Amino acid sequence: MADFSAGNKGRGSVHNSDELNSLRTLILAPEQHEIGELKERLNDPKIRAEELSRVIAEAIVIRASTDRKLATALLPTIEEVIRDSVKRDPKFLADSIFPIIGPAIRRSISESLRAMVESMNNTLEHTFSWRGIKWRIESFRTGMPFAEIVLMHTLVYRMEQIFLIHKETGLVLQHVTAESIDSKDADMVSAMLTAIQDFVNDSFAAKEDSSLQNLNMGELTILIEQGPRAVLASVIRGNPPSELRTILKEILENIEFEYNSALDDFKGDAAPFEPCKPDLLYCLTQAQKTDSRSNKAAAVPAKIREKKQKKGGENVVLFIYIAAALCIIIIIAGFILSIL
Amino acid sequence: MIQKKICMLGSFAVGKTSLVRRFVENMFSDKYMTTIGVKIEKKVIDLKNQSLTLVIWDIAGENGFHQIQGTYLRGMSGYILVADKTRTGTLDTVINIHKTVGQAFRDVPFVLLMNKMDLTGQWDVQESAIDKLGQDGWDVFKTSAKTGQNVQEAFNRLALKMLEK
Repeated sequence: MADFSAGNKGRGSVHNSDELNSLRTLILAPEQHEIGELKERLNDPKIRAEELSRVIAEAIVIRASTDRKLATALLPTIEEVIRDSVKRDPKFLADSIFPIIGPAIRRSISESLRAMVESMNNTLEHTFSWRGIKWRIESFRTGMPFAEIVLMHTLVYRMEQIFLIHKETGLVLQHVTAESIDSKDADMVSAMLTAIQDFVNDSFAAKEDSSLQNLNMGELTILIEQGPRAVLASVIRGNPPSELRTILKEILENIEFEYNSALDDFKGDAAPFEPCKPDLLYCLTQAQKTDSRSNKAAAVPAKIREKKQKKGGENVVLFIYIAAALCIIIIIAGFILSIL
Repeated sequence: MIQKKICMLGSFAVGKTSLVRRFVENMFSDKYMTTIGVKIEKKVIDLKNQSLTLVIWDIAGENGFHQIQGTYLRGMSGYILVADKTRTGTLDTVINIHKTVGQAFRDVPFVLLMNKMDLTGQWDVQESAIDKLGQDGWDVFKTSAKTGQNVQEAFNRLALKMLEK
């Protein structure tokens, strides 16, 4: 009895299930078909690749115009590919870059020659000009080398040191210095800078997101750029241009992006940050004042130059008049003397 | 090279700066301590076949624990509590500091230095109080900044604890 009812039940449920399936097919057939197609598209790598290929170029253009993250992400792969290509067939790459090697060498040589001529000009000028003599006297008086005196007077700004600091611990991740700069212990300076920032933030900061950005002492400025996990502090002698801060900001953003996980997992080992050293070294730029006389000439507006030239012409006429008057006086005086 | 930040904590005049001076080679001027309440020192030690740079934040000691002092602790890998063997109150202070710090920075290794052990005639802190802390799992070192007793050992012990963590 029990088996019989169970069999009936089973047949009934099978019957119901068939009906339900038929009903589902009747009502949802078009949608089911579409879902099936979508599933197929999603599961088939070939179709997905074809679809991606239609938009990838536009996507790259859009992303490349937004920020530098795409370039940063692709850089290791491209470097790897180039390395592999050179390993496999060096001739291929040599042939490819052959057309640009000649012009590149020529340009490099002409740049070197130009720099040498400029340097000779500067040396001659600084040696024999009145200004040069003054600087020689200053060098003699202060005991500083002549080159240092020249640099001091002609420098607009010079980035002397850069510290990349882990924000939470204050430990130094990287430190670079310009040539001939005598720097103190980077670990201690970095920690002290962090302590000063903490002190200023806690004592005076009005808002949570505000932070110490500048420190000035005499001709030295410390620009501090803060990221979420890292801080870039640069020591600058002279007057840094405003765009320098933007450059530092970009570099810090790149480091934050590129070393994202290394910054998160930092346990005191700075080795993973070694590759960012070239970027920081690149930043150690310096700008010198251009030659003051040529600068003056360039800076004088055309109208003023015309006026000056006109005034110069007037001066010549006046000089002729005075000379003529003097000649007349001399002639008259000679005539009077001859009579007497 | 691995770097670790460690902080020196304790009441005023317990000998924190003297202990650090005993331990390190490079020092900034003491005037920083009075201006912003912290002084940084550094020492490179060799431990377990690797070099370890200890950046030591010597934080000005006060009886209470202030917000600025708390900020200086951020990112530390370990801390050293310093009490004065000749003043019982300084041990109570470090116990309180440990409670406060322990709430904000969980599982950060630390050691306790019972300093000024050379002043034998003026000892005030009971040995039983020190033993009790030892039984509670604290690493206690009886030190003297004057003679150098146990100073190196205490710093090395903390460094080891930080590396093992």
